[in-house]
Amino acid sequence: MRQGLSCGMTLADARARCPDLATAPHDPVADARVLEQLAGAMIAFTPLVALDAPDGLLLDVTGCAHLFGGEEALVRRVVKDVGPTTRHALAPHAAAARALARFGARLGGKGDVRALPIAALELDEGALSGLRRAGLETLGDLAARPMAGLAARFGELAVSRLRAILGETGSPVIPVRLTDPIRLETRFPEPLGRTDDALEVVEDMLAQAARTMEQRQLGGRRWAVTLHRSDNQRRRLVVETGLAVRDPAAVMRLLRERIDTLSDPLDPGFGFDAITLAVLHADHLPSRQILLESGKEENADDVSALVDQLSVRLGEDSVRRLIPRDRHLPEKAQALVPALRLRGAPWPKPQGIPPRPLLLFDPPQPVEAIAGVPDSPPQRFRWKGRLHDVTLAEGPERIGAEWWLKRGGHMPGGAGETRDYYRIEDADGRRYWIFRHGLFSEKPDPRWYLHGLFP
Amino acid sequence: MSPPQAPACTQDPPPDRLPRLARAQLHEVHAGGEDWASALAFAFGTVEAEQTRPILLLRPRRKGAALLPCGEGLRVLGVDPARLVIVDARNDAALLRAGLDAARSSGPAAVLIESWGTMREYDLVASRRLILAAEGSRIPVVILRGDAEPRPSAAHTRWTVSSAPSTPLEMGAPGATTLLVELVRRRGGPAGQRWRLEWNEEHGGFRELPLDTRSVNEEWDVEERGPPLPGTVVPLPAVRTRAPLRRTA
Repeated sequence: MRQGLSCGMTLADARARCPDLATAPHDPVADARVLEQLAGAMIAFTPLVALDAPDGLLLDVTGCAHLFGGEEALVRRVVKDVGPTTRHALAPHAAAARALARFGARLGGKGDVRALPIAALELDEGALSGLRRAGLETLGDLAARPMAGLAARFGELAVSRLRAILGETGSPVIPVRLTDPIRLETRFPEPLGRTDDALEVVEDMLAQAARTMEQRQLGGRRWAVTLHRSDNQRRRLVVETGLAVRDPAAVMRLLRERIDTLSDPLDPGFGFDAITLAVLHADHLPSRQILLESGKEENADDVSALVDQLSVRLGEDSVRRLIPRDRHLPEKAQALVPALRLRGAPWPKPQGIPPRPLLLFDPPQPVEAIAGVPDSPPQRFRWKGRLHDVTLAEGPERIGAEWWLKRGGHMPGGAGETRDYYRIEDADGRRYWIFRHGLFSEKPDPRWYLHGLFP
Repeated sequence: MSPPQAPACTQDPPPDRLPRLARAQLHEVHAGGEDWASALAFAFGTVEAEQTRPILLLRPRRKGAALLPCGEGLRVLGVDPARLVIVDARNDAALLRAGLDAARSSGPAAVLIESWGTMREYDLVASRRLILAAEGSRIPVVILRGDAEPRPSAAHTRWTVSSAPSTPLEMGAPGATTLLVELVRRRGGPAGQRWRLEWNEEHGGFRELPLDTRSVNEEWDVEERGPPLPGTVVPLPAVRTRAPLRRTA
């Protein structure tokens, strides 16, 4: 703003004024999601919050302002919560507030809507220029004319918008309906002295939550149990699952696992006063048929329960799956991702590349090798102090560096080193994947690395 | 009351058949660190696993360079890489506990546990627990022991696996996976058989080669299998076109 940037500018103009401008492509879906989250947060100020597409929020603060010390104070709090770039306006009804916030920059977000420019009607450009040519600049000018004539010349929309902004017709607020969170609380007349008793209560609450979620066709992904101790200490246990679940036993197992891995164990102290259970993140989970013969749910067999359990115990970064990536450097062609986040990604069909080893070293191990110049497999190499004589060799498979990811990679010599991979077998019958890092034309003394083991 | 005999012993294959790691049993595979890929290939290639469910590979934290399974390499052994779930455990105790939980759940197709060195936690009791879990869930459990002395355990079979020289392809290129496998111990059955197994890259599965390497590589005797001449470059497409390969042997 200080540099003179504004909405609707071309990128070249903006860059000319502010060369180190950070830019990102427009993502309307993400914007809408942020707006919805913001609407959820605004519940703190008023129960009636409406989305005002595409980038506005309407808050009906009737009867709420005095709770925050008047309208001025309320506006200050809201602006502080949302961010300093917000434009706001207070008006007796929604249409006027929208017009003031969007087009009343000169008026400072309040005042008479009659002083607003006619752009506040948000008509198409043809109608607006027609109005301007008729000498009508503000809504006040327009309101002084007979409505029937305006409707005849500039369309019904102009009149209905004008009447809405002036407050002659109603502008209803359609509030966002937030689903109430799944949150249960149990208070005890006497503190519970044993952790096992508390866990039994948690199990009951989980069963209760499962019934609620079944009605809504939901399953929990993140569960939080808070144990309130009578000396005002709180212990919070959070477990996460890879798939939505509502089976109390499954969640209970994860909770016990979490309790086992706590660094300082759960201490009831003088007892637990209250227990709260909240489902922090829920996904759609349709009801499943229960099989007659086994009493188990259909399609319930999988490793997801096991993955959840091990992820809770060992950390989610310790239980991982292999996913393919569209890169051609061997160590970057695959990635390990937490199995909790991702169920198996399908691997593409083999593309007829030369064979790959079963195990890859990360990072590749430097070896000393004796090889002919320029393009021969090594004749012998020394790894971990042991000399290996090469009896069979295949190659090279030449893999270039990813020059397109490198600044100046398209310039001669800027691409980085090419690798020449050889599949070799030593006199003991072990097969290795070894590469020379760099061609002799690229560097005078390229190093050799061991990158993988073939079975 | 005497404990029931392990039921799977009656299903053991006749000794002349190819090795396999049967369901609902615990198998030990011993190998050196340099033969680790061979040990894994033996486990993946012979384990009797269901074809679509995930395979669990549990690994302890290891000093030195990390060894990662390579998806493309797994595919050669007929395992879809998307099926692999890799679990890293902090120490041997956590490894065995995770392995036990994995063996108890009937979700995975097979459970492979890597271990290195002595591993004091792995004893008769621990192995018996793994067996009970495997019998309950009817899945094979394989414990791979790297650089380890055999310890007394209740495992059904114990194997040692090492790499063997492969049958060379044309122009001196290394051939398909070849392993030297010895059945060291078998509960309730004869042991001591040895196999030389070669992976069939076209159809999958191991096939047996004669144990005596000399008879196979007659024309590739020691003199001729010396270091490759400098300057000989094997053109890859000629060797690896997935077309039926012409063996030199």
